[in-house]
Amino acid sequence: MRLDDSAVLVFRRPALDPHHPDTMTTAIHTESLTKNYGRRLGIADLDLEVRQGEIFGFIGPNGAGKTTTIRLLLDLLRPTSGRATVLGLDAHRDSLAVRRSIGYLPGEFGLDVRMTGRQLLRYYGRLRGFDDLGAAPLLADRLGLDLDLAMGRLSRGNRQKIGLVQALFHRPALLILDEPTSGLDPLVQDTFLQTLREARAEGRTVFLSSHVLSEVERVCDRVAIIRSGRLAALETTTSLLEKRRRRVTLVFTSPVDASAFAALPGVSDVQAQGNVVRLRLADGMDAVIKTVARHTLVDLSIEHPTLDEVFMSYYDETGRPS
Amino acid sequence: MNEAGRVWVLVAHDLRRRTRSVIIWGVALGALGAMYVALFPTMGSLLDTYVNDAPEQMQQFMGNLSGPITIEQWLGLEFLNFLVPIALSFMAMAIGARTVAGSEERKTLDLLLSNPLPRWQVIAGAVGTIAAALAAVLFITWALTMAAVPAAGVDLGPGHLAKALLALWPLCLVFGTLAVLASSLLRRGALAIAVPGVILVAMYVIDGLGQVSESIKPLRVVSLFYHLGPTLESDFPWTAFVVMLAATAVIGAAAVAAFIRRDIYT
Repeated sequence: MRLDDSAVLVFRRPALDPHHPDTMTTAIHTESLTKNYGRRLGIADLDLEVRQGEIFGFIGPNGAGKTTTIRLLLDLLRPTSGRATVLGLDAHRDSLAVRRSIGYLPGEFGLDVRMTGRQLLRYYGRLRGFDDLGAAPLLADRLGLDLDLAMGRLSRGNRQKIGLVQALFHRPALLILDEPTSGLDPLVQDTFLQTLREARAEGRTVFLSSHVLSEVERVCDRVAIIRSGRLAALETTTSLLEKRRRRVTLVFTSPVDASAFAALPGVSDVQAQGNVVRLRLADGMDAVIKTVARHTLVDLSIEHPTLDEVFMSYYDETGRPS
Repeated sequence: MNEAGRVWVLVAHDLRRRTRSVIIWGVALGALGAMYVALFPTMGSLLDTYVNDAPEQMQQFMGNLSGPITIEQWLGLEFLNFLVPIALSFMAMAIGARTVAGSEERKTLDLLLSNPLPRWQVIAGAVGTIAAALAAVLFITWALTMAAVPAAGVDLGPGHLAKALLALWPLCLVFGTLAVLASSLLRRGALAIAVPGVILVAMYVIDGLGQVSESIKPLRVVSLFYHLGPTLESDFPWTAFVVMLAATAVIGAAAVAAFIRRDIYT
């Protein structure tokens, strides 16, 4: 039977320490978290708070510190200074308890090519203390994955699906996913993002590290931008998008004085070419409309830039911090 | 699940993956053993002549051989005192090297450690896998070697050979566990085999040369081969057996300490 993509996976609530002050609201909390690799900076003084039940986007270019942060949360790396708590537990001291409640997909991972996906999941299931495959068959069905093929025979996309299923199949309270849609085709990406929304609906938390901004924009409640190992911004996706500068194109019946627009607050990059005026608008739409009203307007278009442009506003064109 | 249960899951999984390799090692060494047994009736008398004509130092190097050559001396000459311990030690080192550094290089360690698995259990599981794989290979070697005994018509008791092979088990285990330690410290699988491999070969050479060279003789005490002795020709080396098991425990503990303290990279 092929399950409908809208089928909802039922996830158990995690067993957490109810007495811990962070337990009810905070899934991940970092305080001045710093990691140096010798002289090279990994991350510096990172303060993050991820709330339970949200999908949290963590974006930045390669080398910005996303993976370092994740590996610190999983106790794969030890911090130079600062601390992190995950689900109310210390990421290092209580690492074992933390990992019981986490599903993790690394950005890069290897698989034993001779094993099948089913064998891998059964093995990981046993290490977690259960003998069945949990939600794996359902997830595999949704993602179109054959669990009985040797993993060495799988395409890159199907190996990525194995990674996703192993992160999700034990119904974790917190999902930490590093570039999860890498190698997936658009249809499977949609299915996967839908699965994340369902996980959120069940009260689970998703920490999504990505540089595919469109997927972050589609599913994340809040977004943190990391730049050169430091937190550059942390806002709701909505408010981040509201800050984007819209691209406005005005077509008049005759050439107009563009300087009138350039003088308006919130307006930048004004260009005039014949009857057409192009500008970027952060805010102050009312003033622009009133200025436009002094002329005869033929056409008006407003383009909403994607999160990419918001993201790139934190970087210069070369990808380096601006 | 209790701690021992989780270590057993690791060992059982790893052994299942290595079934084919364990069988190949066992059959290869067992076939060699059977061949040595089958050749003894012919080669024994030839070797008698050779040994009697050999210079004294060569006789010492071959374990103070003197005729008439017995099946114990014949098997000890190359098979039990050289081929089996050296080959099986390298097999154990290959398993040990894959544990941490090898898994890191293959990028499989992240996924494994995302499970609720204390790092000491990864090391304990590796040592357990090495111990079990060695035992399985030694058993197959014993069975195939003994299978040739009736046909060759030689006087070799099954218990006698079993004890000789069993004495080699902790020796190979020590080197396998050294590879686990090197794997935890050095982060590179090739180095994790090379370092204990050099120690193994050095110990063998020191023990061999120490038998013929007075200047090297004092160094023999650092060689595990010296303490083990010729396993088929002498009594079971209980002291060496226990000391090597204790050394395995100490080296394993050092591997745990090294692994617990370090960062995991991909």
